[in-house]
Amino acid sequence: MRPGESAPHAVLACGEVRTCLLPAQQALDSRAAAQLLGLRADERVLLSERPNLYGRSPDILTGVDCPLPSANGSRVRAVGTVAARASLTEGRVLQSSAYFRVPAAGPDHRRPWGHYLVRPGVVEPFGTLPREAVAQGLLAGGRHGDLDVGLIAGGLLTRLLRHPLLDQRPPLKSRPTRLRWVALPADPGDGPSIERFTLAEDELRTVRLRVPEDTRSADVAGLCDDLALHDWLLTTVVRILDGIRLGSAPPPARPRPTAEDDRPPVVRALRPAVDHLLHLWMPRARVAEQLAPLWDVLEERPGFTRQWQTLVQRIRDQLTLHAIPSPHREVEPVP
Amino acid sequence: MLVFAASDKGGTGRSVTSANLAYQRALTGDHVAYVDFDFGSPTAAAVFDVPGAMRGTEERGLHSYLEGDVTEPARIDVWRQTEHPLLRARPNQSGRLVLFPGDAGGGEFATGEDALERCADLLLRLHGEFDLVVVDLSAGRSYAVDMVLAATAHPRMRYVPFRWLVFHRWTRQHVIAASGLVHKENGIIKGGVDRGHDEQTLRDNIRFVRAAVPDPESPLWAQGSPAQAAWMQACDEALRRLAAEHRIGDSVVLGVVPLEPILQWREQLITEEDVLATQIANKETLEALEEIARRLTDDSHWGRP
Repeated sequence: MRPGESAPHAVLACGEVRTCLLPAQQALDSRAAAQLLGLRADERVLLSERPNLYGRSPDILTGVDCPLPSANGSRVRAVGTVAARASLTEGRVLQSSAYFRVPAAGPDHRRPWGHYLVRPGVVEPFGTLPREAVAQGLLAGGRHGDLDVGLIAGGLLTRLLRHPLLDQRPPLKSRPTRLRWVALPADPGDGPSIERFTLAEDELRTVRLRVPEDTRSADVAGLCDDLALHDWLLTTVVRILDGIRLGSAPPPARPRPTAEDDRPPVVRALRPAVDHLLHLWMPRARVAEQLAPLWDVLEERPGFTRQWQTLVQRIRDQLTLHAIPSPHREVEPVP
Repeated sequence: MLVFAASDKGGTGRSVTSANLAYQRALTGDHVAYVDFDFGSPTAAAVFDVPGAMRGTEERGLHSYLEGDVTEPARIDVWRQTEHPLLRARPNQSGRLVLFPGDAGGGEFATGEDALERCADLLLRLHGEFDLVVVDLSAGRSYAVDMVLAATAHPRMRYVPFRWLVFHRWTRQHVIAASGLVHKENGIIKGGVDRGHDEQTLRDNIRFVRAAVPDPESPLWAQGSPAQAAWMQACDEALRRLAAEHRIGDSVVLGVVPLEPILQWREQLITEEDVLATQIANKETLEALEEIARRLTDDSHWGRP
């Protein structure tokens, strides 16, 4: 535990992760990644090359003083700082992640800012925290003016996307996703568990976790970054494969727009997945040991890696089929 | 691909036609965004039949986004949220069709650098997500026109392909006005060059769409007298000459949408059902829309072999 965390125990942690394809034609190498992620002059970017290329920015803090969202309408004012950081995996997938934790109770007045600044990523409630109502409120999203951790993650992402290093030529069409999470303490003696993982809207996922009380919120955020990354990969590759069904047999009345190159549409659609996405699958690469078992649960059901392997196999089969010269193919391959 | 829909005057069918083009492209499997930058009079909600979904977006529309009040503009999934019974049964193999509404009651406004950066952020994000982004712009040399001219000249957007469609009706006044909007001293081309666009490139990426054009051959006019028919022919001829003189002749026309009675009554999407089953819309109208939608990305119609 870091010195800053010695304050009262957090009974609730919460965060949101935005995940998107880096809008650049070429993946960034580690030096460029360090430039992109250098959000603070006084702290270095964390870079690692094993087991995959990964960069993470230092945390930046945002001061907040606003009500916490809650499911039952109770308005709990809270003051403190939200931590946010960005990460880049294999120079290709960009994530911004904002998170904070809340102790069970705080004084009913605002303290000098110095108090909050030495507790980075801690937001203190005025009075007692109605934990369950706030946890539900955080996942459901608050009202205008409530503390919105997604806003902070989104703001950081916007800032990064404006970086001049990026040529804004993404190699494929894709949709950013959001993953919102809350972590509550597990019963004493219990290990971490995932209570719920939902696909709320098109691009919103929500996760509700139980973690042992001594778990660092940065580690929980790290786990959720990892979940978000792999969920985004699955979502994106599924959509690529959905798209080729459209391209492979256009209705004759509505010819597809003419394309500049004469590769079959299926190959054209699948190629970016092979070039840019298929090698990114590496669950648990950077998840704290204590939380790694949570992945086993997801592997069991719904079976993230199982689905991924099926998708990868489909892509390879498609490309293999198209490698056969068409006179030898009896029928046009259809996925 | 970004497509900007502009017109000099209101009532040219710009919004309803560009919405129909977006719809047609989504039917062919493209993922399409329709961005309502018609700040004066947003009509997209009516065309896509999403009045219910519009409730609650009043303060989260494009206005609020550009002014920095919200970080993400509201989006409406048309297939899912439309009240149009035919559209709700999303056709198989269609792409996504997403409306980005303006704020209810938001008029024109003027803001500076920040709005421009946010506009570029938005267009880049949509370009990364959608195959086609249709941006409906307020009529005239509006703030919306200036903003997207500046945004597309922004260094961050240098690799994003864009095209302009200028809609006008087939009358003397509209032909002259449409030409003025593009070619005059304070027109789109001059305005674009002032903001850093290359004149020739910008010119090559502007095409015209003639909307609500009465076809003298159409059965609609079959009841007319021979004198009326001759008069219409002569008018049509004269207008073609006028258009050519004003540099908006046939070579820069992407398509012609015939006068469609149901669009005169109600701004709506023209579906296959309207033509085949209920027969309230004309086949020619649907065909024209399908053809223009196809030509949006067909380089041979944009002066590129």
